[in-house]
Amino acid sequence: MVHSINSLFLILIEKISVIVIIAYLITRTKYFSEVLKGKFTHKNKIGLIFIFGAFSIFGTSSGVEILGVVANVRDLGPMIGGLIGGPLIGIGAGLIGGAYRYFIGGFTAVPCSIATIIAGLLGGVIYKLNKGKFVGVPLAVTFAALMEIFHMALVLLIARPYTEAVCVVQETGLPMIISNSFGMFIFAFMIVNLIKERDTANERDRYFAELERKKYELKIAHDIQQSFLPETVPSLKGFDLAAINYSAKEVGGDFYDFIPISDHQIGLTIGDVSGKSVSAALFMALSRTVVRASAAGKTLVAESMKNANNLIAADAKSGMFVTLFYALLDLKERTLTYVNAGHNPPLILNGKTGDLTLLRAKGIVMGAMEDSELEEKEAKLNEGDLVVFYTDGVTEAFDEDFNPFGLGRLQDITKKYHNLSADGLIVKIMHEVRSFCGKASQSDDITLMVLKVEKIEK
Amino acid sequence: MKIEDKSTIKVKIILPEGRLDAQASEELEQNIETLIEEGCTRMVANLDRVEYISSSGLRVLLASLKKLRKNQGDLKLVCLKPYVMEIFEIAGFTNLFEIYDQEDEAIIKFKGN
Repeated sequence: MVHSINSLFLILIEKISVIVIIAYLITRTKYFSEVLKGKFTHKNKIGLIFIFGAFSIFGTSSGVEILGVVANVRDLGPMIGGLIGGPLIGIGAGLIGGAYRYFIGGFTAVPCSIATIIAGLLGGVIYKLNKGKFVGVPLAVTFAALMEIFHMALVLLIARPYTEAVCVVQETGLPMIISNSFGMFIFAFMIVNLIKERDTANERDRYFAELERKKYELKIAHDIQQSFLPETVPSLKGFDLAAINYSAKEVGGDFYDFIPISDHQIGLTIGDVSGKSVSAALFMALSRTVVRASAAGKTLVAESMKNANNLIAADAKSGMFVTLFYALLDLKERTLTYVNAGHNPPLILNGKTGDLTLLRAKGIVMGAMEDSELEEKEAKLNEGDLVVFYTDGVTEAFDEDFNPFGLGRLQDITKKYHNLSADGLIVKIMHEVRSFCGKASQSDDITLMVLKVEKIEK
Repeated sequence: MKIEDKSTIKVKIILPEGRLDAQASEELEQNIETLIEEGCTRMVANLDRVEYISSSGLRVLLASLKKLRKNQGDLKLVCLKPYVMEIFEIAGFTNLFEIYDQEDEAIIKFKGN
């Protein structure tokens, strides 16, 4: 069958459509994506050599015959194999395709098989020169065109008789150049898209991994904090004591503690570490433990807290500090001896008069400065008196419009419900805080401790 | 947040705005860090536009104060709003920082050195 140049063209383009499908399938194989990433294994190298070698054979057998010569895209497979996989894959595929061509025979057998092998080799060389990165669409297409020109040159150089060689080149030269260039364009375009897709996916994965890490870190902070809070509230003769802690979603920072001093004295601590992070949680663990160690068995309040402050300040990095209110409760004397290192001063309600005052005492937050002074004060406790210890998570609980709950509301509730038990009052305060905040989520830890003074046991 | 330069005696004025929550405090910390790296040791933070300060904000101010004082410099504070002043008083920060009502009062204190 004799074809005109035009119909030859059309047929070759039909063939190219098939190649588009093959290109899509090849570029979506596991071997291909591994090699594109630069992950070479014996398996994928051999796999790709066979895949591109097979593609090369397909190129030969799906070619169009003109004057006893087949115009085709045999060189495409080895070229692409070389461009994305290096010389080994390029030459390997070229050898397969070239050998198949050679054994078909014909007067152009030698130049064509050699061209196929060289196509793979040159593709691999370009790969090496570009340090393993894909050269992009324009360069790949240029390479394909030049390779086919070189292929034609080889035919002219080697195939004999010369006049027939010239005929072949005249008839098939242009179609070969254009079809191979177009085939290369298809493949190169797909490869560039694949690379872009992969980079976007990698970026998205990195972002998600970062998010997960942050969430996990905050969870650890929360668990550390919880593990340093007391599990039970001690029962005290003549007093009703209750305490609760609600940590905001994942933060760590508030703490409270009960420290044994003697058979009739107990230390009550409430504190709040600055910041929300794993380092804040660890700092909280440090502070709570240092305070406990400095206070246990010691009846001198200001002095033990000054010691604690020096220890904490030595370890406080980047401005970290902890607010602390520490009070020594004497069950026999019914007194509260206290210091306040920058913490929200607890409320004290007078059982008889109903007056509310604050347990203020001068002192800077713990950890800010070594050797800072703490003012020590004493409060006498009578039957019916009520002390409410809290952290700023209560007074700074915000509603949806960023209005804070405020000290005023806390004072009003304490006054109104002072007849409730310590537990009961805490529940009441929490209920009021939650309904005030409405839909706004809890932004900071909430800690409450209530000490009610009961009848003296005679 | 703005940063102004009172270059006659090399004092930088920092003007944070809005709520100094954890995120805003981080930004403030980075800005101050940059100034310190550039060699600035004299800063005044004008808190006129700050309506709320969290413990993170306090931490950043304290850390900056310590760093600057270590380098023979200082961080002075001016124009604290009542709510913010209250937080400073409870925390005892009023005994740590020099606090003034106006920028000029603070800047003039640097001249002595």
